Amino acid sequence: MCSSKNVNDERVSTHTIEFPYTRTLGPVYSAFLTGLRDAKVLGITSRDGKVLCPPTEWDPQTGESLDLDFIEVGPGGVVETWAWVTEPTRKHPLDHPFAFALVRLDGADTALLHAVDAGSIDAMRTGMRVTPRWKEERIGYITDLEAFVPEASA
Amino acid sequence: MSDPNQDVVDPDAPVVGMDYFMSLHFEERICPVVRRYADALLEGKLIGHRCPKCALVYAPPRGYCPIDVIETTDADEVQLADRGFVTNYTVVTPVAYYGQEATEPFAKVSVQLDEPGGSLSLQDVLEIGVDDVRVGMRVEAVWVPAAERNVDEIGNRSWGSAEGCILGWRPTGEPDVPAEQISDKVF
Repeated sequence: MCSSKNVNDERVSTHTIEFPYTRTLGPVYSAFLTGLRDAKVLGITSRDGKVLCPPTEWDPQTGESLDLDFIEVGPGGVVETWAWVTEPTRKHPLDHPFAFALVRLDGADTALLHAVDAGSIDAMRTGMRVTPRWKEERIGYITDLEAFVPEASA
Repeated sequence: MSDPNQDVVDPDAPVVGMDYFMSLHFEERICPVVRRYADALLEGKLIGHRCPKCALVYAPPRGYCPIDVIETTDADEVQLADRGFVTNYTVVTPVAYYGQEATEPFAKVSVQLDEPGGSLSLQDVLEIGVDDVRVGMRVEAVWVPAAERNVDEIGNRSWGSAEGCILGWRPTGEPDVPAEQISDKVF
């Protein structure tokens, strides 16, 4: 796809190169994204009894395959660490300033990387409680969970 | 962008696949020599550069002759004919990859332009089927109506493109150019 425009008496052409492909999810990511579509966040139980969210196919300590032992976590959680995005690009999940954060959901032992829509950097702090804001129409994609928001404002 | 799971019919079925759309977006300023070519196309003219040393005509102009390794400038500009003959062609049988809009086989031809010369590659042929495309066939340009022309596809590396301004080339009905006159012009 291309287009052309005159800017300051110069001609500028724009191009977009797209390469789409479909990935088969496998039993673990399939369950995780099916859960998101149904407005639930699933973790998986590791060999030592910890709950991993996002779920993985293998035990991160031993590399062994994990049984498909899913457990619903959250919906609320705690921000473990975060980085504020001052000027989002068009590929970012939100079109206004937000935080990328590691969120450890209630009942989980690991943290999920996602966006926190806090409105202002002043509203962000490590240890704050957040809760999901779901999209109305969900399709089984990580962005079905639009963003986490501060629990106080939910 | 379309629904990444548009193939999922049952909204309650497990999500088993995920579409990725890798995408690269960029803008480029068109270099002066290509810009002049694009502006001429919008006016319904094809222009090229004739090398002052070897006299080869480059269409679109490049701003240099790669054979003699010398710069060519506006002083070397020549207006080109919008008639010529087919020197070579490829019939493309489309497969349904993402973004491919064609469904039926089509031909892309190289056109050697009449005096003062120059050639354009990857041109469309109009009015005849792919089985009737042949080397030596005389053709003329069918221009897009002036108000509808665009140069959206003309980039700095789009040598040979007149897309958006020339719809394609149609047979003139004149006798074919004999093959022995083309042997040094096939590419």
